[in-house]
Amino acid sequence: MEPYELTVAGAAEAVRARRLSPVELVESVLDRIEQVQPRLGAYVSVTADRARRSARRAAEEIAAGGATGPLHGIPAGLKDLIDVAGTATSASSRVRVDHRARADSTVAARLSAAGAVFVGKTHTHEFAYGLTTPQTANAWDRSRVAGGSSGGSAVAVAARAATFALGTDTGGSIRVPASLNGVVGLKPTYGLVPRHGVTSLSWSLDHVGPITRTVEDAALVLASLVGHDPRDPASVAPPPGDYRPGPGTDLTGLRVGVPGNYYFDHVHPDVEAAVRGAIARLEALGARLVDVEIPMTRYIRATQWGLMVPEASAYHERTLRAVPDLYSADVRVLLEAGELVTAGDYLRAQRARTLVRRAWLDMMDMDAVDVIAAPTVPMTAVDAGQTAVTWGDGTVESVSDAYVRLSAPANVTGVPSLTVPVGLDPQGLPIGMQLMGRPFGEAAVLRAGHAYERTGTARDLVPAA
Amino acid sequence: MSADDLTPPEAARWAARSGLPLAPERHAGVAATAEHIHSVVSVLRELDFGDTPPSAAYRAGGEQHHGTV
Repeated sequence: MEPYELTVAGAAEAVRARRLSPVELVESVLDRIEQVQPRLGAYVSVTADRARRSARRAAEEIAAGGATGPLHGIPAGLKDLIDVAGTATSASSRVRVDHRARADSTVAARLSAAGAVFVGKTHTHEFAYGLTTPQTANAWDRSRVAGGSSGGSAVAVAARAATFALGTDTGGSIRVPASLNGVVGLKPTYGLVPRHGVTSLSWSLDHVGPITRTVEDAALVLASLVGHDPRDPASVAPPPGDYRPGPGTDLTGLRVGVPGNYYFDHVHPDVEAAVRGAIARLEALGARLVDVEIPMTRYIRATQWGLMVPEASAYHERTLRAVPDLYSADVRVLLEAGELVTAGDYLRAQRARTLVRRAWLDMMDMDAVDVIAAPTVPMTAVDAGQTAVTWGDGTVESVSDAYVRLSAPANVTGVPSLTVPVGLDPQGLPIGMQLMGRPFGEAAVLRAGHAYERTGTARDLVPAA
Repeated sequence: MSADDLTPPEAARWAARSGLPLAPERHAGVAATAEHIHSVVSVLRELDFGDTPPSAAYRAGGEQHHGTV
């Protein structure tokens, strides 16, 4: 096995035991990037020299005093919305051509403090405002979409061109590409991971979180990211506890909600079959399945759009007037049209969010469920040029609307949501299952995801691309 | 397009009132996108909000350590 093939946990153990130097590990990942980048385009920029310096420093620190934690010397990719001092945060946009971040974002600073080595910045759909990431190809089939907006991060991790990566998620942008590329993605509870220094799409809905190969890795990365930061007004202190799931796979006592509405409507039969099979596995591991009805589903899309669209236009107000031609056509027209959303519509969305969130928590309380299990996205990765999908009843839906439909509720409600790979469709494309928890219930979704992963046949899928 | 739909000149006038002058070739595309956004978000007008506050409530004292979502 080459060092670039190691998971975070595997690499951390090898580094801790001094069987592997961070210098060798980082060099191996940089070689892998060179190998796959021409085909997949996961990275905006690769900071090889900086990564080599960081790796040498980590190696010296470990030689002097041992590894300080599981991320010490571990190579990471960062979605290019995340500031790293002295480097450009391009947002995969021509608008940011002369950008230089003056300081680290909170998450970059925390990962650096934990000893992580940044190998580069990964592509996003421009300013995170889209679900495909057209610059990047799917790790399993280059003719298919990577998913977005954290497409570069998900493809880098799937292709073993980063040991882990960070993404951001406003309507599904961590979970959608993670699902489409057969890796793990965690959108934490709203406010758990500080967003200071991360380019915003929508302050009400933005989250930062890990994209990894295993659930255990997601827990290891999450632990280094949490902690109150007063510079993000949504930031809260994490509840006490450990995110890392235990070695056991017994889920006795865990109550898993299975939606009877919404989450299995307009879902491809291959996706439904794989996810229902994975839910049956959770039951076989001891979880109790409980039928749940998702409340207020008619208002989820309206609430998400009513918050995101005017907030995105507000964020881009100056540059949309100064350099409108530098935006891609799809993003520009959304930003322009977003200026026409009224304050009344925006306030209705803010008040609807309060209602949807309350109704969702009431549902979880009433049925006493710890986790809700559902498909992450309704279909696997589509061809890069495809713009719409036609469902069995003749309904036509845009690809973007379809990809965001099942992931957006966790952004509106703020609950944690983890996607784990649960198999491949007949075309060989990955399928993801979404596990949503109670607010700050990350430990429960990670426990369920880890138990599934440890007993599944879909663990650590390797793309052939 | 129904009689209630936003016309390209109306979209241009609304945008101008928001401080965003649009070149003539932008009017039709922006009107169509704005109309689509409107059709999505106007569903919220069905809801009776009563005394429900917006979720972006201000928290006095700045730092908040034990918030709920």
